[in-house]
Amino acid sequence: MTVTLVTLLKILVIYGGLINVAALMTLAERKVSAWMQFRIGPNRVGPWGVLQPLADGVKFIFKEEFTPEGANKFLFRIAPMLSAVPAMLTVAVLPLAGDIAIPKLGTFDLPFFGPTELGGITTNLSITDLDISVLFVLAVSGLSIYGIILGGWASNSKYSLLGALRASAQMISYELTLMLSLLSIVVMTGSLDLREIATSQATIGQWHIWTQPLAFILFVVATFAETNRHPFDFAECEPELVGGFHTEYSSMKFALFFMGEYCAMAVMSGLTVTFFLGGFGVPFWPDAPWFVELPAFLAKTAFFLFLFIWVRWTLPRFRFDQLMGLSWKWLLNLALFNLFLTGLASALGWF
Amino acid sequence: MAEFLFYALSIAAVLFGIGVISAKQPLMCVLSLLGSFVCLGVIYLLAQFQFMAAAQILVYAGAIMVLFLFVVMLLDLGNVEELKENSMRILGKKRITVAVVVAGGLALTSLLGTRDSMASAGPEPVVVRPDAYDPVAEIATLLFTRYLLAFEAAGLLLVASMVAVMVLAKRQREPLSDQR
Amino acid sequence: MVIVKRKELSFAERLYLPEIFRALSLTFRNMFQREITRQYPEEPLPKTEVTRGQPRLVELEEGSLACVSCGLCEAACPAYAITIDGGETENFIEREPKLFEIDMLRCILCGFCEEACPKDAIFMSDELELAGFTRKGLVYGIDKLRRPRAALQKRIDYVYRINDRWRNSSSTH
Repeated sequence: MTVTLVTLLKILVIYGGLINVAALMTLAERKVSAWMQFRIGPNRVGPWGVLQPLADGVKFIFKEEFTPEGANKFLFRIAPMLSAVPAMLTVAVLPLAGDIAIPKLGTFDLPFFGPTELGGITTNLSITDLDISVLFVLAVSGLSIYGIILGGWASNSKYSLLGALRASAQMISYELTLMLSLLSIVVMTGSLDLREIATSQATIGQWHIWTQPLAFILFVVATFAETNRHPFDFAECEPELVGGFHTEYSSMKFALFFMGEYCAMAVMSGLTVTFFLGGFGVPFWPDAPWFVELPAFLAKTAFFLFLFIWVRWTLPRFRFDQLMGLSWKWLLNLALFNLFLTGLASALGWF
Repeated sequence: MAEFLFYALSIAAVLFGIGVISAKQPLMCVLSLLGSFVCLGVIYLLAQFQFMAAAQILVYAGAIMVLFLFVVMLLDLGNVEELKENSMRILGKKRITVAVVVAGGLALTSLLGTRDSMASAGPEPVVVRPDAYDPVAEIATLLFTRYLLAFEAAGLLLVASMVAVMVLAKRQREPLSDQR
Repeated sequence: MVIVKRKELSFAERLYLPEIFRALSLTFRNMFQREITRQYPEEPLPKTEVTRGQPRLVELEEGSLACVSCGLCEAACPAYAITIDGGETENFIEREPKLFEIDMLRCILCGFCEEACPKDAIFMSDELELAGFTRKGLVYGIDKLRRPRAALQKRIDYVYRINDRWRNSSSTH
């Protein structure tokens, strides 16, 4: 009974948190971009513009739902969901903090269940712990292409279709780099469990960013491509494709695409932290309590979220052939080379 | 609960399978296949084959089906007949040879697989150690020791078929002099 | 024909990453620069005597308009924004406009009416904001156009000064 309740509570808190992070990211994006361009940014709604996402939400709800002529209605409706759901699913296995001991709360007389003893268990702050959570993350985030590709196709618009084709080609190419750079971490840790990977980097010296710097760079570049962010945002690419795959979308459908993108960014940042920066580990405090570990994890994740925005407002967009060339000629080969070296070192028993 | 889920998913998978061969639009065929794969993945999960489930979604739904979708969207599907004729012309008299080679390859691969699985005499000792059971290590060990030859043969066959598809699907450009 | 030589890139530049970090440091430093945004409605634009806003009619101390409805501004207006209908009065200046309308949607703020006026009765004020819910509402009548002379004094002084300068420097003088 307690386990079920705790799981429900964790689901509520973590998903609520994720969606709030996504909403705040839209504000952060506009604020940071404004600062970088000597502007102020949104400051009208609430103090410091904090309520801007709320105002945007209200605006999205009241906008007209528009379906273009000749669009495939069913796919057009389902595409935003297919884009947002995988991004939100992956957060289920992210280890946010270590063990939490819940003390015995005593016996309560619950309706329908009768007297139940609550509390007295130890849980940890992730919705579920899979043995193969690395594979789960990769598998589910790989599905987010469908939202983009189907949304682009179902819109019956050439801009959308071109955006979708570019996005899918790009995501397939960079997924290889993403997985191969992760494999070297998996080889080093010998586990496909995110929590085990995080706990294996207990001290700051054990962080994989030091042992696998090449994999770290490859992974970060690949996450930028996977989430369709600058400088690889060919799925939307405003000057050439209007809005790319979501040109024809409006109202909450568009908002869902948007949410999906920001959730994917949050999850990818969390993954980068888990793989390379020791996850929820607190530097110089090996067994910190969970309420210190959680802010540590969030702070590290926030840095990578900031990096997403930072890079977006710094670098120009690539050309599409450069993007593909970078992936297939450089990153993939480097990832394979890195994996080979790691495998060799592992076989020779260097770590 | 698990039993009910199993039957529901199986029925859904079969329905999706029927969708693959009956849908009018090629895109819908691809999507039905995708649905079927996802159902199978969840069935694996129900049977505690977590690794199989992840691999199913990762490889089939995440990568291969995207390529299918890609091809369907890019291909000018108006002239399937022409494509068919074209490939028949390229094959020409070698048709039978190709068929024999493909069939032989398939037979060889499955033979290798069966031989390897028969190799250990007697019934396979089933390891029931739910606490220390590592499916990934198990599969990896089997794949790289006992079934190595069959595994490599299957890989070779896939590469060969991919090359064949490239040759067949490539549009022959008529030489310029022929246009007169 | 111009032959453009591509710059040879050094190894560090071709590696791309160091250059990315340079760019990132630039944008990061920019984050702490002072904003140059003007918070417009609260922080209005700076106005000087040169500001050429919407035209306004001068109201004399006695409360009557300086305009004698001669119609020169109407004729000078390149946008046909001005409509005048004159009439006689018992005042010392015997004529005043019965109807003086400027269609603010047509007005291009060129200042020709100001230059054309022989009686110093119409000047460009420093009022720039224009908003309304109907087109009719933006056709300003006398009641909306009249301003006491003191409100326009800055502009009037400026125009006099410029005119003097022009007169004194004229070669035909």
